[in-house]
Amino acid sequence: MSVLNISNVSKVFPGGTVAVDNFSLEVADGELVCLLGPSGSGKSTLLRMVGGFEEPSSGLITIDGEDITHLPAEKRPTGMVFQSHALWTHMNVFKNLAFGLKLRRLPADEIKRRVEGVLELVGLGGYGTRHVTQLSGGQQQRVALARSLVLEPKILLLDEPFASLDQHLRERLREEVRDIQQRLKITTLFVTHGQDEALSMADRVVVMRDGKIEQADRPDVVYREPRTPFVAGFIGTMNLLEGTVANGVFNRAGFSFPLPVADGPAILAIRPEALDLAAVSENGQAKVHRVTDYGTHGLVDLELPDATRLKASVAHPDMFKTGQSVALTPRAIAAYRDHALIHKS
Amino acid sequence: MTTLAQPRLRIDWLGIAFAILLSAAIILPLLVVATWAFTEVWRYPNVIPQQFGLRFWGATLNRSDVWSALTLSLQLSTVVTLLSAAICLPAAYAFARLSFPGRSILFFSFLAGHAFPKFGLLIAIAAIFLQLNLIGTFWGVVLIQLVGTLLFMIWIPVAAFQGVDRRMEEAARDVGASPLRVFWSITLPQAGPTIAAAVLLSFVGTFYETEGAWLIGAPGIRTMPVLMISFINNQMVVQYGAVLSLILWVPSFIALMFARRVIGGGAFARGFGG
Amino acid sequence: MIDATDAAPRPLIDTTARRRPIGLLLVAVPVFLVAWLVIWPIISAILRTVWRPDANGTVGFNLSSYVFFFSDRYSLDNLSVTLWTTITCAALLLLICLPISLYLRFSKGRLPDYVQAMAIFPMFVPSIILSYAFIRVLGPNGMVDILLNSVGLPKIRTPYLTPWGPVIGLVWDNIPLTVLILLSGLGNVANQAIEAARDVGANKLQVLWHIILPRISNSVLVALSFAVLGIFSAFTLPYLLGPASPEMMGPFMQRTFREVNDPLNAITQAVITFGFCIVFGLFYVRSVAHNQGK
Repeated sequence: MSVLNISNVSKVFPGGTVAVDNFSLEVADGELVCLLGPSGSGKSTLLRMVGGFEEPSSGLITIDGEDITHLPAEKRPTGMVFQSHALWTHMNVFKNLAFGLKLRRLPADEIKRRVEGVLELVGLGGYGTRHVTQLSGGQQQRVALARSLVLEPKILLLDEPFASLDQHLRERLREEVRDIQQRLKITTLFVTHGQDEALSMADRVVVMRDGKIEQADRPDVVYREPRTPFVAGFIGTMNLLEGTVANGVFNRAGFSFPLPVADGPAILAIRPEALDLAAVSENGQAKVHRVTDYGTHGLVDLELPDATRLKASVAHPDMFKTGQSVALTPRAIAAYRDHALIHKS
Repeated sequence: MTTLAQPRLRIDWLGIAFAILLSAAIILPLLVVATWAFTEVWRYPNVIPQQFGLRFWGATLNRSDVWSALTLSLQLSTVVTLLSAAICLPAAYAFARLSFPGRSILFFSFLAGHAFPKFGLLIAIAAIFLQLNLIGTFWGVVLIQLVGTLLFMIWIPVAAFQGVDRRMEEAARDVGASPLRVFWSITLPQAGPTIAAAVLLSFVGTFYETEGAWLIGAPGIRTMPVLMISFINNQMVVQYGAVLSLILWVPSFIALMFARRVIGGGAFARGFGG
Repeated sequence: MIDATDAAPRPLIDTTARRRPIGLLLVAVPVFLVAWLVIWPIISAILRTVWRPDANGTVGFNLSSYVFFFSDRYSLDNLSVTLWTTITCAALLLLICLPISLYLRFSKGRLPDYVQAMAIFPMFVPSIILSYAFIRVLGPNGMVDILLNSVGLPKIRTPYLTPWGPVIGLVWDNIPLTVLILLSGLGNVANQAIEAARDVGANKLQVLWHIILPRISNSVLVALSFAVLGIFSAFTLPYLLGPASPEMMGPFMQRTFREVNDPLNAITQAVITFGFCIVFGLFYVRSVAHNQGK
């Protein structure tokens, strides 16, 4: 159906802040791409440029090959779901959905048919006459989604749509949105700062930082093979150890690990679940600082001699006590130098 | 395929149009008045006065009616503002912080004065003052002005007191401050600037109040605005009015500087129901 | 913000019961003043004009002063010029202030700041100074005439002492509050609600008509009520700038009271102005109370 192409787009705000820096991305037909990043990474600005609410300082945005870079929002074949749902509170649910169709001068029975169809789709059949202020937060967000879908946009844009909802509702809604998206096969760009959301919904995750792409890959790849220390630290829990490599051995405050790379500084990344612990009587590389028992597993906070903290996930937390000396055996590591992956094992 | 960075310079034509039109409509008339005040000879149809000078400042300031009106206006404004502060600020604190029967209805009763056409209400009050022999007296004018300040002097300070976070007060109580001490050291400094603006507004408002002073005060009580009316009506030398306008405008200018905070904050418009 | 009076105050530690009398005591004087100098004069004005001695001296229900007002050509002319002025001013105010407020709401920068400062400036110019400036600028041989003359154009027909005099002055005087009230209403229209409308294809005019105006209709009515209440019985500007006959209700009441020395008919006129403005007054009180309750 539709392909979104963003090429070399930059956005410089008056005052010189570079929000988006020479950004290029292609979203394939029917694909759901998540833009993930901390606040200020430029992900929302990028989405708003696709929606037509900000104008790029340079670059080109096309949908199915058609240049929309300088089209106003009302002329674009995009549908946006806003963070705070942005429903028009002086209209009921039906009128909120019908507004865009009325602007397109569709016949009344056609409008009715389409609105009812899309309300059915988001699970709000029969809610048309409700006033939007009478709905719960989740229902409001579904109406907002329906309002975008009813116009059958080529590209669906979602700007942190679940940010104002509680955890439980958020999880349910993201499944629903994913189901609807797959049923309609609609090309979707989704902005979030929650990694769970990105990892569970997206076909592809684009991790952004300072207006640039850090990594764009399938969710499992982003998790298992983070290409930069930033992505490693941003997705999931990760121990990041800065140290030096000499003669093929990484060293940081007594903790050493063979690393077959050239001598120089390096950052070692180890997931807590990939760090094995063994209790030793003395001369361990680290001391146990605190043990937290989560029932299904335990988390051990460790301290290296220079007070650097590490986390390790263990199956039997009762085997460790505060102050105890432990030996560390990483099962899988990634090493970075100059923001790039240099070794993986 | 890259489009080069296009510096899209947008000129805010609408804003420029508004700025020019409003400046012409609002600043120009006042500039003309200011020019007249420093003019000695300006005959039609010259665009610029033939002779500038300060002669009429001396002449205006030497008129005894100007001095007595100025003193009277200052006395009146001071008395009204002090009285108003004395009765309204405790009331505002009570409305903001204490609970008592009829609190809401009493609070909204202050709107009554603004829900009727003002001059009609003044006539109704004047009819009552006529029976009480308060027409043409200083205290009659004080009373009428005092009523005019009530809404401001209660509603703005109430908002100020309510704007003080209760938790700040509770934290002060927690570290051992007495209620009075809390009011003095926490509540008042927090609410102070807004209250000061309200007091200033009531002073300036009283200083310029024309209609009540004219209806209740005349002929015995001649405040500055009342004097100005007679200057305009009696077609006195043009410059007298101009000089008087400039003198009259000084308090307003001070208010302008201080009240920006309150008015910009939006509380003001909401106080009017916006 | 003047906020939620309904949000019942949580007493710090003291019991409510102990504080009750103190609260009432603190508000007693201002409340008494309102009762004595606002509520009572209105009630008394109505009572005195409908319940009074007739020609024979018998006290009773008597509407003759109203009958006189509504059969007197001169009074009716004054009433109609007042109505005309009020309607004209209200329409002009909306035409001028709505575009300014919309511009201010949706722009950022130094130019909008300047425009806002200009629009609010008249609030700090007493109407008496305004009247004087008006005469110097738009009066006979005023600044406008001087400027027109210097470029070889004929003089204007001066609005001074015509019904347009008060209209211009009153509009000038009422711009700041109208803009402030409209701006405060526009502040409640979320940016995202507007962007959502543009997203579904509404152009600027459609956004204004379908999204913005319905949301600020209340503010527009409040601004209008406020303007109507102020303009209907305005005194200073019509007295100094308007024609001597017919005159607006303000100067008319003042003349009846002071110069003709006829309090009864003056009060009758006052009660009639109350009657014409009651709808606006009630609406104004209702929406302020509603706002406060939020």
